[in-house]
Amino acid sequence: MTAAIEVRDLHFRYAEGTRALGGVSFAIAEGECVGLIGPNGAGKSTLLLHLNGLLPESWDGPGAVLVGGEPVDARSLFEVRRRVGLLFQDANDQLFCPTVLEDVAFGPRQLGLSEPEVRERVTAALAQAGISGFEGRAPHHLSAGEKRRVCLAGVLACGPSILVLDEPTSSLDPRGRRELKELLRRIPITKLIATHDLDLVVELCSRVVVLDGGVVVAEGPTVEVLSDEALMLRHSLERPHALRHLHPH
Amino acid sequence: MRRDFLDPYSRLDSPIHRLGAGTKLGTALGLVVLVLVVPTSRPVALAAVAAALVAIAVCSRVPWRFLAGRVLMLEPLVLGVAGLALLQPGGWRLFLFLLARSTLCLGTMVLLSNTTPFEDLLRVMKAAHMPALLVTTLSLLYRYLFVLVDEAGRMKRARASRTFTRRRAWAWHTGASVVSQLFIRSSERAERIHAAMCARGWR
Repeated sequence: MTAAIEVRDLHFRYAEGTRALGGVSFAIAEGECVGLIGPNGAGKSTLLLHLNGLLPESWDGPGAVLVGGEPVDARSLFEVRRRVGLLFQDANDQLFCPTVLEDVAFGPRQLGLSEPEVRERVTAALAQAGISGFEGRAPHHLSAGEKRRVCLAGVLACGPSILVLDEPTSSLDPRGRRELKELLRRIPITKLIATHDLDLVVELCSRVVVLDGGVVVAEGPTVEVLSDEALMLRHSLERPHALRHLHPH
Repeated sequence: MRRDFLDPYSRLDSPIHRLGAGTKLGTALGLVVLVLVVPTSRPVALAAVAAALVAIAVCSRVPWRFLAGRVLMLEPLVLGVAGLALLQPGGWRLFLFLLARSTLCLGTMVLLSNTTPFEDLLRVMKAAHMPALLVTTLSLLYRYLFVLVDEAGRMKRARASRTFTRRRAWAWHTGASVVSQLFIRSSERAERIHAAMCARGWR
């Protein structure tokens, strides 16, 4: 079976010289939910941008990113972006339209759908993100949690088969975090979640990839990897509380 | 966070607010053109336009203090342009005329933006077949002005919390670095926004 996402020996250096990725390889199977963890500056965000073909500089270099078996390049670019929905770290970067309706409709309109179909998608996506009725609101009138949900709706409205999330729970209050977790759990597609929220990883992801210094330093079943205290500390992480209090009941 | 510094009254309920956005945009443009074609010999026509604007403002229930404040805030730009007329002999009359003209145009726009939500204006522009790129640019401009002002506010607070001197020179110096930082951050943000647009199929 072809992997939903496969990254092969991916290297990337920013124009100013910083090496962000130094040969990353891993694969995600269809329907899997994988956590991507690692310290600040490990290359997580850079890696996620590659999954959407947003750093074209690296297409000629060594290594490749494959989505559904297809390499990401100029030819497959738009198909890849349709299939892989990317949720950005800063909600303000992603909400670029004057109203929620316009913003969530942005993706579907690019897909060339008719206006009634676009409306249908928007309504469905807002419902899925738990913010029905927000159509007329302006982004600068929303709370951080609401902004995050609108971003998610905007991505879901494109009908992706893979969801890639960059720090989805950052700047959310505990309730917002809990609700977002529930939302994500109910979305039945392949997911890759880059985060520092290790409890989120324990609850949602069956497998984790640990990135540090632009390379994969560990990979395996979530509980097994996150319980390895020495490994966690070595890479500026820690054993999450959720694993310290695993009771048999 | 200052959420509505730009057009705080654009969502009021009044006879003027209930009018169609297209009607209002058309009327505003009409008034501006009218003001521009009035010859210097007919200042009475300008007074008529001013009276019309005042009537619309009263009907719209937007506080007159706010409107006057906004126009005054923009007045330095007008003075800069009209001031050039003073350089020619007997330019006083022309100066006053230019001043009146520009102030009326400004007043019209301030009134329009505070009686019509911006997204309605964008919709009218799109329907009127304005170039799509221009409409997108205006829409992004409106959206990110709020983010930019928030960001500037946060940076100002951050600076204030570590400023321990009243020295003017110091204030100017850090002020300049805030502006440059803001510029860098905005340009980085522009790149991230572009990425986010591409991620959802923009081409």
